[in-house]
Formats: sequence, C-alpha cells, structure tokens
Amino acid sequence: MSGFDARLAAAQEALVRAMTAGGPMPEGFDAEAVRAAAHGILLKRAGEVARAWPALAASYGTSWKAVFAAWAAERPTRGSFRDGWDFARGNRDRLAGEAARELALAEARWSYDGQAPPRPRRAAARRVPGGAAVAFRGRVRVFGRNPSG
Amino acid sequence: MRLGVGIGWRPEIAGFVGALPGLRFAEVIAESVHPEGPAPELLALRDRGAAIVPHGVRLSLGGAEPVAAERVAHLAACAEALGAPLASEHVAFVRAGGVEAGHLLPVPRTRAALDALTANIRRTQAELPVPLAVEPIAALFDWPDAEYTEADFLTELMERTGALLLLDVANVYANARNRGEDPAALLDRLPLDRVAYCHVAGGSEEGGRYHDTHAAAVPAEVLELVAELCARHRPPGLLLERDGRYPPAAELRAELDAIAAASGLEPVT
Repeated sequence: MSGFDARLAAAQEALVRAMTAGGPMPEGFDAEAVRAAAHGILLKRAGEVARAWPALAASYGTSWKAVFAAWAAERPTRGSFRDGWDFARGNRDRLAGEAARELALAEARWSYDGQAPPRPRRAAARRVPGGAAVAFRGRVRVFGRNPSG
Repeated sequence: MRLGVGIGWRPEIAGFVGALPGLRFAEVIAESVHPEGPAPELLALRDRGAAIVPHGVRLSLGGAEPVAAERVAHLAACAEALGAPLASEHVAFVRAGGVEAGHLLPVPRTRAALDALTANIRRTQAELPVPLAVEPIAALFDWPDAEYTEADFLTELMERTGALLLLDVANVYANARNRGEDPAALLDRLPLDRVAYCHVAGGSEEGGRYHDTHAAAVPAEVLELVAELCARHRPPGLLLERDGRYPPAAELRAELDAIAAASGLEPVT
C-alpha cells in the first residue's frame, strides 16, 4: 500500500476546482447536488468572514451573504481574515464609515501584499475616516475628531 | 470512559459552557487552539477535571496527499496541552492540489480512498499521544462508482486502523434524509461498540435538501435517532455542536437537557 494514488489525487482536485474555482463539473456526479453543496460552503464562508470583518459585512446589510458568495464563487478560500481583506480591497471605492475604518485599521496593523500571509507591522500610520490610525509594535491607536466612532 | 453530555466549546459561549455545573466533557476546534497558551476558560475546564477533546477540521485525512506533518504535530500538541483523553478528525478531505475547499468534502467509497485514509490515519496515530476517533461527515452528494456501502467502508476503516468512531447522529439523519434512506438502518450496520462519542446538532432545509449547519435547534427527528441509538448501544458521550447564531442560555440549556433525556445520561445543566 503506497498511500498515494495519482488518479485519486487528480479526481479530488477536479472536484475541488469545480466547487470553488469555476472548474468543469467532473463526470458522473449529480451536478445539481454538488452545486448545492458548493453554495452552502459559500454561505458558510460569508458567515465566517462576517465574524472576522463585522463592519464590512454590516455595511452590506441583508445582501452581504449574496454579494460575498458571488465574489467568492471562483476564489478558493485563503482563510476568512484574508478572504475579507481581499474582498474589502476589491471593493475599496464603495466602503465608507465603519467599513472603511475596519480596512484602514487592518492595513495599519498588518503588512499584506495580497499574496503571502499578512505579517504584523512594526510601525505604520494610515488615514481612517475622521482621523488617523497609528500602529506601533502591534498596538493601534486612532487619533482625530471622532476616534471612538 | 464515561463522558456524559457535553458541548462544543466556542469562544462566543465560553462563559455559558464554564458555568454548566455538571459538565465533564467538551470539545474544541483544534485549529483554534494555541497549544502554548490555550484560552484560560479552557484551562479552567481542564483543571476541574472535564475531558476536553481537540477536534480537527483541516487535517484532510481523506486526501490523496499525505497529511501535513505540522498539522498532525499541532493536533498532538493540543491533546497534550488540554490533557485530552482522545483527539478526533473527519473521514473527509478539505484540499487537493493546493486548493482549499473551505469545508469537509466526502471521499469516494473506493479501495483507493480507503488506502489513502488508512495511510493518513496511521501517520496521525503514530504522532498522537492519545487515541484518534474519526467522524463520517454529512454529504449533500456522493461520488460515482462506489465499491463499498457506507457501513462497510467505515467498518473496514475501523478494522484496518483501530481508530474509534465519532458518530454524528445529525449527519446520519441528514444523509439518510437527503438520500431517501432509513437512518436507523445505518445504525444497525455500524460497529456501535467502537463509538467513542457522538455529535448532535441542528440544521436547516434549503431547496429540498437538509443542510447540517449547526446553526439551529436540534430537531425532534435527530433526538429520536439519539434515543434509537442509545437503545441499541449507548455511547460514552453525546456532544451538542453549535456554530454561529448562538441562542439565549435558556435555549442551549434546554437542548442539553433534551439530549440527556433522549439518551438516558445525566443532565449537566
């Protein structure tokens, strides 16, 4: 028993790509059932991202799950923190208030190039709505007219 | 070992779980634990003698690729830090070819998948300081060309690896309902003497399919199946899983009491 089977590996990869990355549906499956499972996974991902990025999700109101699911349908997860971050960056222009602030605080605290996992910054400053966020050694303080709002 | 009625420990309900007077059994998602410094509420549970089981969700035991050594090491470190009597993972795969599925996916019931699972479970068991229990999942679809029935596949896997069975009663219910089968018939064909503990949870119906979401109250049908199971062979423990949409404490207590009543185990509330 080798414990590795190239055909099984390829079949599993084809299924995962069909469910998460827009790949073709492998033969022999109940396509409707696989799509229902994939949609359930997208809704679960939306809930997890909402917990990591509450202001971002709240800014979409009741449409959050549908909007996120549409965006994520062909993007395999990279963890809920990065999924939320990638989504927020992709929709930066429409973010305002608390959602914009949530993104700015994350960018002040973490260094993230969109590819490698985020790393804590030693020091940084970012504009946030109503003021500025200053990060130093993992702590973030917000200065400005409305620092708590 | 008698575990009794337990609950899945989550940060959002840590206060509720810690205040349950009779609780002697809980489970924590292994990937959420920092073994070098677990949450103080978890350590308090451990220190009062509760059994805490680390439950992995990202090991991908059913993947064709070998399990990642660092993921196995993390599960082992969790078991060590929590003084766990056992650890658990799923009969499933969660990634392939470097692509994350974001969820537990079913393996084909074939000899090739059985070989891959056997190899990965043995690799994991070799590093764990405690026994491993493996959990069949709820699946909305099956692979084509199955060479085994679900019961035969699981029985063969238990025999090959010596692993214990973590039986999710809600998954049994969900799978049977979505396939139009009788859930009690599956119970009759599983090695119930190898069950380490059981999961119980609620789900919801969407588009004619039952999704095991862990985000709703345990339905009466699942509680009836708990009673059916316990009439055949009562497992050492039954654990309520709840992820998200946490209800008021009184509702969670009522669910734990309902599980105790259906199984004949002592209430923990």
